[in-house]
Amino acid sequence: MTLLNMLAHCVRPAGLAAVIAGVAFSAAPSRAEGLAPGEYQIGFVTENTGPLAAAGVSYYHGAQLAIDEINQSAWIGKGDTLKMVEKESGSDAARAVQAVSQFIADRNVIATSCCILSPVAGAVRPVAVNAKIPLVIYGATRPGLPQLPYVTSVVGLPGPQEVKMTKTIIEKLHPKTVAYFVNADNEAFQGRFKAAQKVMEDAGVKTAGVISILGSDTDFTAPATQAMGTNPDLIMVWTTQTPAGGIIAALRNRGYKGPISANDVIAPPPMFKKIGEPLVGVPFPVLFSAELSDTPEAKAFIEAYQKRFSALPDAYAAQGYTMVYYVAQGLKSLDGKPTRESLAEAMAKITEIDHNVYGGLPMKDGQAEFAKSLIGAWSKEGKVVRWDPK
Amino acid sequence: MDALLDFWAAYGSTVVFAMINAFFALSTYAVLSTGVLSFTTVVFAAVGGFLAAQTVGHLQISIHLSFLLAAIGGGLAAAVVAVAFLKLDSHWMALASLALVLITRVVSLNAPILTGGVNGLVVPLRVDPIEVAILLAVVTFAFYRLHNSWYGLASRAVREDPAVASTMGIPPRRIQFVAFVISGVVGGIGGAALAFTLQFLSPETYFIGIAFTMIASAVLGGSFHWFGPVVGAFVFTALPVMMQAFVPQIEDVAKGVALLLIMIFMPRGLIDPRAVRLRRAARLRHKQERAVNA
Amino acid sequence: MHLFLEQFVNGWALGSLYALFGIGFGLVFSTLGILNAAHGTYASWAAIVGYYAVVWLNVPFPVAIAVGVLAGGVLAIVVDQIGFQPLRAKKAGLLGALITSIAFWIILDSLAGFATQQQSLAFPASTYPNRMVAVGPVMVPQMQIITILALIICAVGIYLLIQKTRIGAAMRAVGWNEVAAGLGGVNARVVILLTAFLAGATSGLAGVLGGIATSNVSFTLGEGLLLKGFAAVVVGGFDDVRGTAIAGICLGIIEVFVGQYVSTAMRDGVTYALLLLFLILRPRGLFGSTSFLRA
Repeated sequence: MTLLNMLAHCVRPAGLAAVIAGVAFSAAPSRAEGLAPGEYQIGFVTENTGPLAAAGVSYYHGAQLAIDEINQSAWIGKGDTLKMVEKESGSDAARAVQAVSQFIADRNVIATSCCILSPVAGAVRPVAVNAKIPLVIYGATRPGLPQLPYVTSVVGLPGPQEVKMTKTIIEKLHPKTVAYFVNADNEAFQGRFKAAQKVMEDAGVKTAGVISILGSDTDFTAPATQAMGTNPDLIMVWTTQTPAGGIIAALRNRGYKGPISANDVIAPPPMFKKIGEPLVGVPFPVLFSAELSDTPEAKAFIEAYQKRFSALPDAYAAQGYTMVYYVAQGLKSLDGKPTRESLAEAMAKITEIDHNVYGGLPMKDGQAEFAKSLIGAWSKEGKVVRWDPK
Repeated sequence: MDALLDFWAAYGSTVVFAMINAFFALSTYAVLSTGVLSFTTVVFAAVGGFLAAQTVGHLQISIHLSFLLAAIGGGLAAAVVAVAFLKLDSHWMALASLALVLITRVVSLNAPILTGGVNGLVVPLRVDPIEVAILLAVVTFAFYRLHNSWYGLASRAVREDPAVASTMGIPPRRIQFVAFVISGVVGGIGGAALAFTLQFLSPETYFIGIAFTMIASAVLGGSFHWFGPVVGAFVFTALPVMMQAFVPQIEDVAKGVALLLIMIFMPRGLIDPRAVRLRRAARLRHKQERAVNA
Repeated sequence: MHLFLEQFVNGWALGSLYALFGIGFGLVFSTLGILNAAHGTYASWAAIVGYYAVVWLNVPFPVAIAVGVLAGGVLAIVVDQIGFQPLRAKKAGLLGALITSIAFWIILDSLAGFATQQQSLAFPASTYPNRMVAVGPVMVPQMQIITILALIICAVGIYLLIQKTRIGAAMRAVGWNEVAAGLGGVNARVVILLTAFLAGATSGLAGVLGGIATSNVSFTLGEGLLLKGFAAVVVGGFDDVRGTAIAGICLGIIEVFVGQYVSTAMRDGVTYALLLLFLILRPRGLFGSTSFLRA
């Protein structure tokens, strides 16, 4: 039953896109200048299975939605359509490299996009650079991944959002000591934890304890007891999704009443459905939230996404969506028949992604820079609201 | 010619990964052919891979020299492991080797000076696929020569029955020690080849995934002949690519089912010298019967 | 002292899960001679089935556990009959069964991902006992008490079954030598099915209890249990349920204490190093007999 659902779910949109693409293509008039009409393919390395599949599906859906929107509104230009071709990697570096190599061999593919994990992105990067094909990283957060003009990233680096939230917490809650949970096996969360810890220590807030966990851990009762044993004024959770949920649930179940802060992994609605009550009032920094983001583009995106997938988009979906518009903007700026290299040059020149859901998204040296971040929290009713400490 | 180039462009990397897996499968086969099931190839690969990456990165030595170092490093690691492991019964050895694989990941996570730790390690050089192919050909040729040497004969005897082998003057432990060292050398080379192909190493690179890929490749291809692991590695690496082409939504399930079917119907693997001999014998008998009847 | 006691109970409960899983894993290894890589998926699937029983059918807590346990047992029989039985006939040994178990691992893990829509699910808080109970000076979550009791009951029950009953004698006989057991009048086929069911059910129980206690019902559940349960089995000795139970509890307590008092980064390292040390210095485990009878 569920298997069939998945199948239907995935096959239908692809078919739809193809139909739309076909219609638009046949109706294309010839033009004197601007981008040559045609169908341009983006090779998308999906992570719809494997350890990060929950997030992977969101990136994929966001990208699908952007493709359809661009084609329906003729956003690039009349007669120009985008098509997405997918290959699955299951978050495995070797499979991702093979997928990108196959995209490179397919002459219809003009740009590629991949990777949630930094080691996977690191392995794919030289392949794209050697083949001179644009590669947009949609999920990996290791600093220094972009390599102009070919490799660019639409992912917010660890730092600014964490700093902003930590400063706000210090202002509002005045903690004296903090205990941190952090993934020992994930460099992105190590970076985020260190950014937050630096702000805390600079403000004179002491570190009560740092508790390392692994992404594959499942039992958090003991780590929770350990954190509570340090008697902190605040507990910060810088871990991946499943551990974050488990840690917060374990802390509350064991009777911890003090404040907890987390990160955007607890923002997706299924997390609230799963963990429920313990998540209420836990602040997290987020670049995009279906309930908080209120620019016209964001609202349109949220509405369309809900209609298409009958679920609210999360921050990952927004990133997949942004990736496609970034490539489209590169294509839009070109004249005549584009090549992979000319597209890469055009994308490298972009200093601001025009169509975004963040209320402004500058690109610097091929890296997206998120100026504005939000601090959200779950309400008792299961809605993300602006965090409001009591 | 164009079609060939296109094919290479699309599936070249698959072929390269198949060749790398062939090193791992051969490394597993090296010990398997003396009756030892061991997952330690992953450990030797990690030693070889990180050694090659670090020496190229910090000492600026050539890629060829680093392959040599990786082979030596893998071999030394194997010698150490063999001394500790060969005291154990075969089943325990399999389990101990699995434990060692788990420890390898913990070590590579917690020794950032050697492995880059959680941030991973960028490998500055890339190996040419042709060179990997040449290296694999050399290694495979070595296995062919070993197969037909006294050592090959002795290892088969040890695999069939160590007790009988030792009564014939073959020292089982010494044969298995040699097998471990061969496994280490080949595993180290494979690890380095993987490092120079991925160009980015993390603690996840050398972990359970490789362990099961290599053991499945070796057994799938046939663990009774030196050519089996090579065939198995190519089949096992190509399986996901083929499944992706035909049934993209359930490719993992399809890959599992394919593996299952092959094992159920050909439990001795795709390359099985005994089956070949049996067929040859049957043909011969057939011919003789016909001659008699005529 | 208070913290020490709390962590002691945490470790005990965690170790009980490892031990429960390990008992099933060890049964298959010692009786059927199979190193089963797919064993972790039985736990995942038991938890998933238990979860859907609660969410769709609103069954009460004990029924959900029973359904999950049954699912684990049935799955183990299915895998055994499809994947291992054909190889038994062909005498493919440890190696062939290992590969088919890897195949099943890939298949069942992938299907589990589909079944949970790639999400990690959790039992709704109202569907299981989730209060804290005062036991002496420390507060203990009810689920931990249930887990600890479940291990004690299962370990004692299975130990008595294997050592004191005719069925147990038949199981030991098949573990020793299948053909000889058949000659002695044991129906090996039935014993194999029974062992597979018992192993799947015990590990399934670990899966359901673990899935509830850790708020994590997904395909990742089984893998964590597989690695630690494997350690418990090796340290405890394969052919003895008592050893697995005690070793599991000890590993859980050591894991928690290393995290609390030494270093959280070295937590798993210590467990696996201990595992290796045991394998090399005392390969038969805490209680195990001196050698493998079924080589």
